[in-house]
Amino acid sequence: MSDIADAHDGQTHHPGAATYLIIAAFLVILTAMEVTVFYVHALHPVLVPLLIVLAAAKFALVVMFYMHLKYDQWLLTGVFIFPLIIATLLLVSLILLFAYLSNHMAPIG
Amino acid sequence: MAAQPKPLPAHQPSYLEGGGILGWLTTIDHKRVAVMYLVSALFFLALGGFEAMAIRVQLWRPDNHALSAAVYNAFFTMHGTTMIFLVVMPLLLGFFGNFLIPLQIGARDVAFPRLNALSFWLALVAGILLHLGWIRGGLPDAGWFGYANLTERYFTPGLAIDWWAIGLLVSGTSTVLTGLNFLTTIVAMRAPGMTYMRMPMFMWSLMVTSILILIAFPALTIGLIFLLFDRFFGTHFYVASAGATPILWQHLFWLFGHPEVYIMALPAFGIISEVIPTFSRKPLFGYPMMAYSICLIAFLSYGVWGHHMFATGMGPVADSAFAITSMLIAIPTGVKIFSWIATIWGGSLRMTTAFYFALGMILEFTLGGLSGIMHASAPIDLQQTDSYFVVAHFHYVLFGGVMFTIMAAFYYWWPKISGRMLGERLGKWHFWLTVIGFNLTFFPMHFLGMWGMPRRTYTYGADMGWTNLNQLETIGAFILAVAFLLFYVNIFKSLSSREERAPADPWDGRSLEWSTASPPPAYNFATIPQIRGRDAWWILKYGRAGSRGVAAYMSGQAPSQPQPDQPVSVEDIHMPAPSIFPLVLSLGVGVIGLGLIIDWYRIILIGAAVTVLSIVGMGFEYADFGEQSHDPEHAPSSGGVDVRKIGLWSFIGSECVFFASLISTFIVYKSRSLAGPGPKILNIPLTSFSTFVLLMSSLLMVLALAATQRGDKRWERIWLAGVVTFGLIFLGGQVYEFTSFYNEGMGLTTNLFSQSFFVLVGFHGAHVAIGVLWLSVLWVAAMTGKLGKSRALSVELAGLYWHFVDVVWIIIFTLVYLMQAVPGA
Repeated sequence: MSDIADAHDGQTHHPGAATYLIIAAFLVILTAMEVTVFYVHALHPVLVPLLIVLAAAKFALVVMFYMHLKYDQWLLTGVFIFPLIIATLLLVSLILLFAYLSNHMAPIG
Repeated sequence: MAAQPKPLPAHQPSYLEGGGILGWLTTIDHKRVAVMYLVSALFFLALGGFEAMAIRVQLWRPDNHALSAAVYNAFFTMHGTTMIFLVVMPLLLGFFGNFLIPLQIGARDVAFPRLNALSFWLALVAGILLHLGWIRGGLPDAGWFGYANLTERYFTPGLAIDWWAIGLLVSGTSTVLTGLNFLTTIVAMRAPGMTYMRMPMFMWSLMVTSILILIAFPALTIGLIFLLFDRFFGTHFYVASAGATPILWQHLFWLFGHPEVYIMALPAFGIISEVIPTFSRKPLFGYPMMAYSICLIAFLSYGVWGHHMFATGMGPVADSAFAITSMLIAIPTGVKIFSWIATIWGGSLRMTTAFYFALGMILEFTLGGLSGIMHASAPIDLQQTDSYFVVAHFHYVLFGGVMFTIMAAFYYWWPKISGRMLGERLGKWHFWLTVIGFNLTFFPMHFLGMWGMPRRTYTYGADMGWTNLNQLETIGAFILAVAFLLFYVNIFKSLSSREERAPADPWDGRSLEWSTASPPPAYNFATIPQIRGRDAWWILKYGRAGSRGVAAYMSGQAPSQPQPDQPVSVEDIHMPAPSIFPLVLSLGVGVIGLGLIIDWYRIILIGAAVTVLSIVGMGFEYADFGEQSHDPEHAPSSGGVDVRKIGLWSFIGSECVFFASLISTFIVYKSRSLAGPGPKILNIPLTSFSTFVLLMSSLLMVLALAATQRGDKRWERIWLAGVVTFGLIFLGGQVYEFTSFYNEGMGLTTNLFSQSFFVLVGFHGAHVAIGVLWLSVLWVAAMTGKLGKSRALSVELAGLYWHFVDVVWIIIFTLVYLMQAVPGA
């Protein structure tokens, strides 16, 4: 099977089975690394950044190769990336706002 | 082949003709859907107006008891809810947006006509649910923003808040579907030659508004879901005594609520940008800056929600950040005001009623904007919060800015929509009474607010010194009511008039809708127009745009009659067939809502069955389901991407915000539990295996797609069956996990950690279940030979959804499970 298969709409090309399998292998390896990081106490000081990088890598692999954003038009990337950025900002903003609230609120009871 | 707009032959049936009642119930024509939005919005406008009048009657004199306090609370709650969700948005988006998007971009309909009809029926169901309290349980009375923890069952027992929350959930779903539809339509279905910088400004505003809808409404959805969980299942998302904080509701609500202001204001800006150039006989001044300022306003609007919450004590850094963004948003807004004024300057003005209302909007909205800048300053805002000053401000924005615009739009586009003119003489009376009544009603509220009159107050004492201004406001409100009455009379007279019909282009317009008949035929254009510049129709008439086109007009050059470049038979135009499924599906949703509220589970099951069967029915309704469209007229500006793919990606984008709201709540609450099990209970080996299963299901999914694309039916079935099986294994793992937690003493309501965990992971599981159902249907289609290479798009769309569910789990696995020892916010 060719690595790059013709797409159904004649506009874009999707990768073939070989690429899909390689990506799957990467995803398994990255997941194994995440679980390892969780269990190795020596890595706990850098747990958060390590896990975020590993999760981001997995996220990007699925989105780029399995969801074909690497091969599809930029329009689709834009339609996805902008809300993703907004969602990330929302997540960070709410965590920071409530962190402040938690540190300054009167204790319950 | 693209061509110039063709003057339609005589006796072309308009979209209003034929079909009877069933034709309207099953219509998916964007124009008929728009008219149905109009009828429902005019009804709710009268209802919301009645509620406003009752409020003003109650405040006529001190210590008044014309209404009971409970009814007063219900009326101001329902006035706000009705006007925002059932009047302004349906009119701007559902009515004008629906009617004009295809006409202004040179298309035959919206991208997803059945989804469009579904949006309307859902909106109507939402309106009915919101008002069923008149019949049973009472009307909601916690304010249009329903602040927690007033909305908790402990403080507001009964059904009223249930009606409100479920009605808003359905309304929000309808709006998100509309946003998704409009965005896809404007992006993909513009006529050949209509680049982004040639679009009418109204289309710019609706495109950006649609994006705003998709990223703003999920926060409200999550807030309402938490509220319903609190009310129905006994969780404590907003209960301070359980360690939670009602402030969470305020954040989620205003994350939606402030963009919502611009969801209403941006289409208004777009409409004004259409009306003013037409009646000034000049191109819109500063078109690129107008377009960019719309984008900037939308972007900034998502970062200003905190200015509604200065009084909650967010801290100096957050206060400063929100103050800065709130002040910054005045800059692109100012760009628009000055551009409109510059457009009018030196123009050949025609003082029609539409133009009057547009001018009125500029003045009144600017006043609202000026008081808005005051609110951006935290110290000043603290003095004004919850006072009548705020009521004055947002009515100057929403009535002065938006309702004036809606009226301008009515007088401007009514001839196109109905084929009849609205009376200009009556219109001028309508305008002047509106201006007088509006300013009498709302301007004194600035003073009352500064003198300390709190908003939402039921009554006031005679010694407060507020009586005279309140009486002035009530007189103003009655003048406004007369103005609206004249508006309704004008519509009635117009529709019942036997006078000559409106011409196709009564205002010598600039954009494409004026190139077709009034009212337009069902197919809009005999030939899809070829666009040669901005102000497409003006160019076709006068040969050139910009100042040279104006010079041609000013020199008395008669508009040329554009000729078609080839004859086209309208019999060759194929419009999508009507469908009963949108109506039935929305009825199913309504029945579910009803069953939830009256606690009758058989009703819920019936509603759910009707809903699921309707969705499946819609999926297979057309014989060419899932086939790639090869019609070049269908999506000329999509760059070859199928509109369904753009629509699904837009939905996925919206889902990002949905899950971000859920995840952030989990992180905020996971360490705030006062008792019971915490994050340590999470089972890493089990979920690592589940993660592996889900990742492998994604691999099988792409293999299934590849097999479908190359026409390999055997492997298509095998891989699809594999995905479904892996999905079921994942769900089985989740059921096992939940059950084991329950056995270890962690139920849904145990503590903040458990409730936020179960809701987040449960919603992800629900998405997986929907994916499994979707893929199972495709697998059945594959087994019966109905899939195959030509319908690979069906598999691709299901795959996109499935992979998204996978990437969400990647994030959940990391943030929820692997970071369990990391403290929350």
